Amino acid sequence: MIRIYRVALREYMENAKTKGFWIGILLFPLMIWLMLEVPRFLEEKGIPTRHVIIVANDDVAGDISRQRLTLLNRQKSLSSLQQHLAKETADQRAEMLENTEFDAAELLEKLEEGLSQISPDAGAINPFNPEQLVEIGDLVPDEMLLNDFRWKALKNLLISQLPEGSAAFVEPELRFKEVSLPSDLTSESTNEEIENALRPYLRGEKLFPSTDENVDLFALVIIPENVFDGENQIRFWSTNLADTDLLDAITSSLSEHARNLEYEKREISTSDVTEIAALRIRSNNFNPNKEAGEEKVGIRDKIRQYAPIGFVYLLWIAIFSVAQMLLNNTIEEKSNRIIEVLLSSVTTNELLLGKVFGVAAVGVTMQLAWIGSMITILRLKAGPGAEWVVDLMAAVISPELLIGFIFYFVTGYLFYAFLFAGIGSVCNTIKDAQNFMGPIMLILMVPLGTMMFIPNDPNGTIATAMSWIPPWSPFIMMNRMAANPPMSDIVGTGVMMIVSVIMVFWISSRVFRVGVLRTGQPPKILELLGWLRSSNS
Amino acid sequence: MATAIELKNVVKRFGEFNAVDDVSFSVEEGTICGFLGPNGAGKTTSIRMILDILRPTSGSISILGEKNASLVRDRIGYLPEEKGLYKKMTAAGIIAYFATLKGMPKKEARSIARELLQKYGLGSFMDHKCEALSKGMGQKVQVLASIAHSPDLVILDEPFSGLDPVNQEVMEEVIRDLKSQGKTVLFSTHVMSHAERICEDIVVIAAGKLAFNGTVQQAKAILPRRVRVGGESIEKVIPSLDGIVSCTPVQDGREGVLELIVEETTDSRNLLKSFFDAGVALDIFEVVKPDLHEIFVHLVGEDAREAAHR
Repeated sequence: MIRIYRVALREYMENAKTKGFWIGILLFPLMIWLMLEVPRFLEEKGIPTRHVIIVANDDVAGDISRQRLTLLNRQKSLSSLQQHLAKETADQRAEMLENTEFDAAELLEKLEEGLSQISPDAGAINPFNPEQLVEIGDLVPDEMLLNDFRWKALKNLLISQLPEGSAAFVEPELRFKEVSLPSDLTSESTNEEIENALRPYLRGEKLFPSTDENVDLFALVIIPENVFDGENQIRFWSTNLADTDLLDAITSSLSEHARNLEYEKREISTSDVTEIAALRIRSNNFNPNKEAGEEKVGIRDKIRQYAPIGFVYLLWIAIFSVAQMLLNNTIEEKSNRIIEVLLSSVTTNELLLGKVFGVAAVGVTMQLAWIGSMITILRLKAGPGAEWVVDLMAAVISPELLIGFIFYFVTGYLFYAFLFAGIGSVCNTIKDAQNFMGPIMLILMVPLGTMMFIPNDPNGTIATAMSWIPPWSPFIMMNRMAANPPMSDIVGTGVMMIVSVIMVFWISSRVFRVGVLRTGQPPKILELLGWLRSSNS
Repeated sequence: MATAIELKNVVKRFGEFNAVDDVSFSVEEGTICGFLGPNGAGKTTSIRMILDILRPTSGSISILGEKNASLVRDRIGYLPEEKGLYKKMTAAGIIAYFATLKGMPKKEARSIARELLQKYGLGSFMDHKCEALSKGMGQKVQVLASIAHSPDLVILDEPFSGLDPVNQEVMEEVIRDLKSQGKTVLFSTHVMSHAERICEDIVVIAAGKLAFNGTVQQAKAILPRRVRVGGESIEKVIPSLDGIVSCTPVQDGREGVLELIVEETTDSRNLLKSFFDAGVALDIFEVVKPDLHEIFVHLVGEDAREAAHR
């Protein structure tokens, strides 16, 4: 035992000293941080005010379009005010959360209830996006925002909520700003004249002289007469084809108006239409596997079903990162002929176990560092909300589930680790090893592909069949664990995995014993079989 | 005196090829034994079997009183033929690591490692990574790694190969030091001068078979006693003398010099006297002392050449 420990310890220390190890550990939090910061940065720096010329040959349509732009501007202002408020009150809320004892399970139920009230389609709301929960602003009706007086009142109300000593709110730049036609053009000019005159500005060749400054002209929108009849089309001029927000806003607001006109013409009340459109058939999902009275399927179950994907990923990454280390180390020892000295001191089994455990410890360290840094960054960046998510996760993942994950993680890891060590022992160079690695990588790709659809049918034929194939069993079973697979599957595959791990270990130690002392060409398959049969070579 | 290593009718077969063929020999405790043989004779295979890295096809091996080296591996030190070190570990670190694998406590292993490096002239390279060491230094480190845990039996496979003359002497010193501490040393080589200088016993194998096992003195006795003579019209006198077995011209290019093989009982002084008595004017009279090199060539010459052509 002490020898296994010492081999493992050396393996661990040597790997921990490599640059790759530290780069791996540090790169991950850096990536997470960038993933959080870059969108925020882009949003802040973000899209500059878009300057737009609207030529409306229909007054009503012009008003509706302009109203929609005002709405978008006010929504942006509101959301930035909310963010400001959230930031300034973060400490207060954290304090409040700390002082309130809350039961995660109860909270989850409330959340579920709340979501089904907020939105007819609860599935569309991601319960783990704290922003979605904070942004009650989304629920402010458009009429309120469009009413200048009420908008001002709302803003003042929100600003008055800022705690004392907080920074003043800075109004963000407008999303869209309408600029008027140059003086030599009037709305009487033909479309062609306007378009030709504005072409250089739209192309970005010249800055457009607006009243107070010269600006980039983003788009020209020409709304034709009789647009609501559907005869004429809106002419939208812009070099930017990617940003369709403006066009979408205008077309959708005009379409809405056109529909309303049509309702009136056919003498249908618009309020009836809204009411009818809001009709939804609700459903409740029940799971016959659950106890009587608890069959209702909620978000909790959905999360339970999808949470295993995280574990499948974790196992996959663990195997992948460890494979390279095990191969490199074994091949180094072999090509350096260190192996002979080692084998005069330890048995092949001790060496094999020591290596696998040592490298496993490296992998676990890395993953713990990743999880730790992820939680730290989330806490720093997302505030107490992240903790809340962790609590919710903890409430969802029961101890039985966790034990299952750990079991399949360990057996899956060992299965592949022994396999890679065995392969390393018959190869003299990484290049030799790559020939063997190809097929194994292909096998490893399969669970990655299936992990997304297994939760849809966790106890289906494919999932059940794949559970019984040892290289895939740990991945698939992790995936299925939450869906209460039959006990026979759990026990059966569990025993099968233990037996397979022992077998792979046995085969690898045989191959290892012969392979590590062998030089030259990697052996042929038939030769390998011969090694397994001979107990002594 | 107890036996440190004993092989009885050991055979190792790789497929159709008999790498070691019915070899038996023993090494006494506290002696330095040279394990000699041409390339491909089966030295390394034998050593691996002694160390239980390979298992013999048939026959038995006992080591330090046990049937299997794995039972006494902490009392054995081993330097393999092909030397390698972990490139990224320091010299002291690697010695300490191998010592701990042999069951030495970590702290002790570290201080021993430093002590040994200091003693054998690598003190200033202690904390250098192995990849920064020269080949010879690396080899020294490896030798030290194999003896750091103070083993009772040290097996060195080609310890001198790749070392310059000065370091070869250091290596010889290491081996003598081990003997003076009462350790048993078995080392393989095909450079006879080392074996001759430091061995008491030698084992010679050729083409997988045991060719000789005994003391250096006994080995020297294998070759017939020879005397080289030269002088005017010496050929005429020789047939009339007693105790001479054969007479041939020498092979070393000197003209008129003859090599006489004489009987065991012939005293060289008497032979010289009989030449004088016969009135020969002797230019040369050499009593040839056989060295191990000659004995080696005599014992394995045929096989070695055969092996080289194989």
